[in-house]
Amino acid sequence: MEIANVVDKWSGNVKEVTIGATKDEGGTRGKTVTIGGANCIPFMDFDGSPGHKPAIAMDVYDTPPEEWPEPLLKHYADVIDNPANWAKKCAEFGADLICLKLDGIHPDKGNRSADETVSTVKSILEAVDIPLIIWGCENDERDNEIMPKVSEAAKGEKCLLGGATQENYKTITAVSLADGHNLITQAPVDINIGKQINILVTDLGFPTDRIVMFQTTGALGYGIEYCYSIHERGRMAALSGDHQMATPVICDVGHEAWRAKEAKASDSEAPQWGSFADRGIMWEAITATTLMQSGVDIIRMNHPEAVSIVKKHIENLT
Amino acid sequence: MSENSNTFKIHFLPNDTIVDINDGSTVLDAAHKANIYINSICGGDGICGKCKVILSSGTVDAPPTKLLSDDEAGKDYILACEASVTSDLQILIPKETRLEGKKILLDQNEQHFMTWKAILNKAEFKNDALVKKICLKLEPPTMDDNVADHERLYQAIMMKQGIELNVMQTGYSILKKLPVVLRQNDWTVTVTLGHRGRIIEIIDIQPGDTSNTNYGIAIDVGTTTVVASLLELETSKVVDSEAVYNTQMKYGEDYIQRIMYAIQNDALNEMQRSIVTDINTLISTLVKRNSINLDDITAIVCAGNTAMHHFLLGLDPERIRKEPYIPTANFIPPIRAIQLGIDINSRGLLYALPSVAAYVGADITSGAAAIRLDREEMPTLLIDIGTNGEVVLGNKEWMVCCSASAGPAFEGSGIKHGMRAAKGAIEIIHITKEFEVSCSTIGNVPPRGICGSGLLDCIAEMLRSGIIDRSGNFQKGIETDKLRKNGDEYEFVLVQKEDTGIDSEIVISQADISNLIRSKGAIYAAVALLIESMGLSISDVHCVYLAGGFGNYLNVRNAITIGMLPDMPASRIKFVGNTSLTGAKMALISEDAFETVQNIASQMTYFDLMGNQKYMEEFMSANFLPHTNLDQFPSVQEELSSLNKPLTGK
Repeated sequence: MEIANVVDKWSGNVKEVTIGATKDEGGTRGKTVTIGGANCIPFMDFDGSPGHKPAIAMDVYDTPPEEWPEPLLKHYADVIDNPANWAKKCAEFGADLICLKLDGIHPDKGNRSADETVSTVKSILEAVDIPLIIWGCENDERDNEIMPKVSEAAKGEKCLLGGATQENYKTITAVSLADGHNLITQAPVDINIGKQINILVTDLGFPTDRIVMFQTTGALGYGIEYCYSIHERGRMAALSGDHQMATPVICDVGHEAWRAKEAKASDSEAPQWGSFADRGIMWEAITATTLMQSGVDIIRMNHPEAVSIVKKHIENLT
Repeated sequence: MSENSNTFKIHFLPNDTIVDINDGSTVLDAAHKANIYINSICGGDGICGKCKVILSSGTVDAPPTKLLSDDEAGKDYILACEASVTSDLQILIPKETRLEGKKILLDQNEQHFMTWKAILNKAEFKNDALVKKICLKLEPPTMDDNVADHERLYQAIMMKQGIELNVMQTGYSILKKLPVVLRQNDWTVTVTLGHRGRIIEIIDIQPGDTSNTNYGIAIDVGTTTVVASLLELETSKVVDSEAVYNTQMKYGEDYIQRIMYAIQNDALNEMQRSIVTDINTLISTLVKRNSINLDDITAIVCAGNTAMHHFLLGLDPERIRKEPYIPTANFIPPIRAIQLGIDINSRGLLYALPSVAAYVGADITSGAAAIRLDREEMPTLLIDIGTNGEVVLGNKEWMVCCSASAGPAFEGSGIKHGMRAAKGAIEIIHITKEFEVSCSTIGNVPPRGICGSGLLDCIAEMLRSGIIDRSGNFQKGIETDKLRKNGDEYEFVLVQKEDTGIDSEIVISQADISNLIRSKGAIYAAVALLIESMGLSISDVHCVYLAGGFGNYLNVRNAITIGMLPDMPASRIKFVGNTSLTGAKMALISEDAFETVQNIASQMTYFDLMGNQKYMEEFMSANFLPHTNLDQFPSVQEELSSLNKPLTGK
């Protein structure tokens, strides 16, 4: 006797968000990246459509990262001072998107000017043709000063700008709206605040199909379980018909994984932990693949080998 | 007109407020300065024509306007915003121009504006005071009628009151003086009878007829405020009321802190004295103000939360705060007030109304009786917003209750310029889109602070006018100098220093707002949880009674807009004021009401919210304006989205 498959039907679905604009669409990108669209639990394609595959964004910094351990740094040593070349390298490593993190505009990390930052953005847009995420330094004052300039310089490119927080969301929402960009809404591993910040930006007239949520990431061993369950609850709410939660999700795996003690301790410091050369890669890859199960749509990553492991994993699952 | 500093006196009616203003100012400016609300939608641009007032005397300089009909112009109507003052004026503010919300509220809160007598009649309790004075004219004994004095008295009481002999009881001290008193005024005596469970006790006996001087005190023993009413027991009339802050505040804002203080410092006696002193202060104020003899106060009924009753009675409160949260007693027998050190008639009785559990006290059972929850057919909610925020859901067949730990924010405590609802408290606030604030105070005097209803208005109006967003955060970009930074914190100036009755501005700070949002979130979460736990939905709730010492008015719509009350038609929500006190007053003058409170207390099922994960989740999502789940507040969502100014550019 044949037993019919039991299908878990969900009433809602995650909205699709497209990052990047081609020439025809008013930008200069060679291709665009569309995320979201799921109407079932991640990778459970027998229940419905899992939507678009998770995309990998690779980080580029406007100022050399200070604490990157050798196994990671060695891949970027030649481009660490040159964001445009750095971005090129990431594109070669297989990045779907570039995530330009503007740490350098922070008063404690160089206090880079708007002009410098705008030219960095422009140089990356010229160097690569994949879509761009541009993320401020999380100092409200500096972000509110620089992000409008950056947004204007990238007008038409349909970038993903970050991040709008409950305390500081007006400026970045306004410029993203005006310049046609997508927007990252940010919450501190809190499902309610995640939803509230989405309500706040939509109250300002920002369309929900241009929002990507960021719930703050914890790496393996550093709170990944909190992060996982928040993502999972958010996705369940979205699939159950909660429109305010029905936006794709971004997570920051690379930065979090590579500041873990396990990724940074050298062979002599932690001889019992296995090879220093492999540890960080494993840490990053496992953090990424774990969070993927909870329902994330963009994964920020750093190490080229970790990226290729994760990409292979995505292919295997879909 | 020359440049001078001529000032004119503007006399506003019917408020009967006089304000000095420089010439050249408009009548609307004068009204603002006087803190008088004049309807003005356009904020003084001469566009809306809503600020019509009548010029009863004096002269103004006003341009011609089409916004006034010929008829109105003929009746000396002027537009307050267009009329420059050129002499002393008398201005009559017609009904249509006065605070709109107030008129609506009068209708919505009919209940609250009912007189005490009307409330009492509606409750339909039998009039039968807990302690009565009865004048008896005894037959003098003769050789043929040689019944003893005591039994003679009993017979007379039985004849007059229909009280069975076997339920009567007399104290030793009464017996000692009985023969003398009976004969002092030719066998006319007044006996004071008090209910003690099923026993009727002869509390006192006096020569002559003193039955018209029998008074009782009803007390709402709140964690933050203590309110007392003096009643004439013969007539059920409320003579006077008075309130003070609970001086136990110095041992801790909430009663958990106070319990810990009492235990750690072995200070239970000290804390009992503190609350007893507050009560004695209230009683002595009432007695003096009304020229009443302390001996004529024969009964006290107290309605307080469980912990406050423990403090008042000097019962060990320690286990109230520890799992499994066990009070020493919920039902407390009547005792002599003097045993607690409370000064009334030395044989006067104190009745503490019964509690349900450690965190649902007599203030709630008393309140439920006051609104006659025990007679409702349909599920009805009673929400009492005091220091805690208790919620009762039920009808004549069942009642469930819980306590929300909402904190005393809406009692004005822990809020920079918060105050209890007393003279000078801002009870209504209106804020225009241009951030102009108008408010009215209790007693129509310059404002001294903001009470619960004003705070509630303040949050709703700041949200509507865009001063705060739904998280309650100040919108720093708005164009007004009223929003300013004070130290590390932002605050919004509601009333300028020169207009207040205190030596500073009246402001609301970011911390105040967060505090109020948490408070309302806790209340809503408790409501949502109770409704859900009974398998009901909000639409099944027939009526909501909102109780608490907010002020005289409460804008029910604003309570919904900020998400304190569920989204339902305002006509189904009734603001009933301090029901704890109302219930205590009813119990004082009606044995029937007293019994009803006992029955309610034994009927209620208590839900514990402490450590309830579901409650925590409900609370977290309620910490937003109105709520994180907007679909629970469709009418608010509609209201707010019509007010939003979407960003179209930078």
